[in-house]
Amino acid sequence: MQFIKSLFRERTYTLTLFIVITFIIASIIFPGQFPTFQNIQQILLNSSVETIVAVGMMVLLISGAFDLSVGSVAAMAGALTAWLMMIAETNSIVAIAGGLSAALLVGLFNGYFISYIGINPLIQTLATMGMVRGIALMIAGAGIQNLPYEFIYIGQSKMLGIQSPVWWMLIIVILFHYLTTYTVFFRRYYYIGGNEIAAELSGIHVKKVKMFGFILSAFLAGLAGILLTSRLGAAISSIGNGMELRVITAVILGGASLKGGQGKIFGALLGTILIGVISNIMVLSRVSGYWQEIIIGIILIGAIWLDLAVQRKTE
Amino acid sequence: MNTSTPLLLLLILFFACEGPPRQNMAGNRIMLNDSSFAITEVDPNEEYVMVTTATSLPLYASRDQVAFRAWGKYRGVRVSVVGPSDWNIPAQIKAIEEVIASRPAGMLINGTDPGIAAAINKAVEAGIPTIVYDSEVESKRHCFLGSDWYQMGYKQGEAVGTLAKGKKGKVAAVGILNLSNQQAGFTGLEDALKKFSNLEYIGEFETHNTIEETARITTDLINTYRDLVAVCGFTSETGPGIGLGLKEMDVAGKVYGTNVDASPVLMNLMKEGVLQYLVDQKRETFVWYGAEFVFDMAHNISAFQPKYLSTGVHALPHSVNTGLIEITPETVNEYVR
Repeated sequence: MQFIKSLFRERTYTLTLFIVITFIIASIIFPGQFPTFQNIQQILLNSSVETIVAVGMMVLLISGAFDLSVGSVAAMAGALTAWLMMIAETNSIVAIAGGLSAALLVGLFNGYFISYIGINPLIQTLATMGMVRGIALMIAGAGIQNLPYEFIYIGQSKMLGIQSPVWWMLIIVILFHYLTTYTVFFRRYYYIGGNEIAAELSGIHVKKVKMFGFILSAFLAGLAGILLTSRLGAAISSIGNGMELRVITAVILGGASLKGGQGKIFGALLGTILIGVISNIMVLSRVSGYWQEIIIGIILIGAIWLDLAVQRKTE
Repeated sequence: MNTSTPLLLLLILFFACEGPPRQNMAGNRIMLNDSSFAITEVDPNEEYVMVTTATSLPLYASRDQVAFRAWGKYRGVRVSVVGPSDWNIPAQIKAIEEVIASRPAGMLINGTDPGIAAAINKAVEAGIPTIVYDSEVESKRHCFLGSDWYQMGYKQGEAVGTLAKGKKGKVAAVGILNLSNQQAGFTGLEDALKKFSNLEYIGEFETHNTIEETARITTDLINTYRDLVAVCGFTSETGPGIGLGLKEMDVAGKVYGTNVDASPVLMNLMKEGVLQYLVDQKRETFVWYGAEFVFDMAHNISAFQPKYLSTGVHALPHSVNTGLIEITPETVNEYVR
């Protein structure tokens, strides 16, 4: 009984349970469509880019901050990488390095102003969101196409029948799960999120650690943007539109708190997958597009409510 | 008198005649000799403002805004593009109200949502020449210029029917569900598909105007409906999303993709064989003439403008259908800019 109680205390476990139950029910109702390799692969593929961004967002939310510029950074990194390849005629590796460096710079810019100058993350990243989207538009214009094969390969190649962004997602989730669970540096985000003043007094360089969180978030957003550009085979400045809210929703669903101090990297993965699975079931159920939004909203609220109710009961 | 004399006299007479008064264009100044025209001179500081949502949308930035800026240069007036960078209707309404307070010479408002009608009315009531472009919004606007969205959908339906060649199956639409122009497009598509007994319309799906969401819906639709014949898109963002979904599910060319607009990315997808039909709006046309219309109102260029205004009526047409352009794999190369 104690074991079951401890399981339910963790959002990741209740989410896993919720996903498994949903999976079983959907498989019974839609045996020929839902539990197929192609469908599952596609749900994971469609969730992959946002999960990569969600990992960075989860680290930030653990420390009590968030970043609204991730969608714009993804677009800018993709656009700059394509521009470097097609207009500046650099090779793909240099172009990707350029795109990621630009994303890092945006993260540094956000992190410095939030950590050292004291600007509110909402204001700072909201301002950056607009600025960076404008830069992406200037670079990509109406779109950059015919990207080289070696670049397309990064996002379109397959291993064991699964498209590469899914593998990228899994590698990043496992890596950051390890880092946030076992390394001293990343454990500091929990202390900062739990009590920033106490963390400072215990000798943690809060400003530096928080700034690194924004750099990390922007880096992962940049990587996600480059992967999406590779998947599309074209740089389009509007990619990542509204991504920030979708990612924050998934991360909160995955166990993070806007107050900070809580959350696990696997929660970010489960949050995006749950949203992907529910959306998939909506289409499989042939629910009218008008009702889908309402039903998805109700299910998401229901999932959080169920989790809170179970937690209260087990406590 | 030889035969050439009358001819010579006629020639002299012809050159002695005074021609009709011409409109002189001296730089950007418009000077008409006819006193019945009460044209006011152009002040280089007068400002014309385009208010839209999603100012950073590639379609808007690379076409509407380029045409508007070119028009400003041509007329020698200041032009500004105002609005939120993302798809945010409340922010567009706020932007319209702020622009009204700055009293511009004219406003071009993108008819993105029926909810902006009250703000459009405020602009008109403030005496600012105001046109709505792209999609109609029931309001007091002076004129609407844009495409017939019902036709945008109808043409896609006809194209799918022709492509299907009698093959039985289902057709879905993707777009922004709460927009009136999209609704008209969905209705047009459904009506056109009724002509083809082999095709069944399964409805429309919300994409939130993002490529990623469109791709997700497209793949879900392919998984759900094994007899899916086509996915028809109604925003500039749906096309790349449909393309991505069809390619990743390895059904490009087997399930047809059609879309509105004709960005280079969409035309490239058509050249790759992923999309089979595009129906484009004449965006530059409705922006350019929309700007001309508000300029006209601001400067009383229409001969009868003052007469109309005295009766509380303006001289602009009620609405202008700028038509559409159909692009197929056979004609796509002609449109690649």
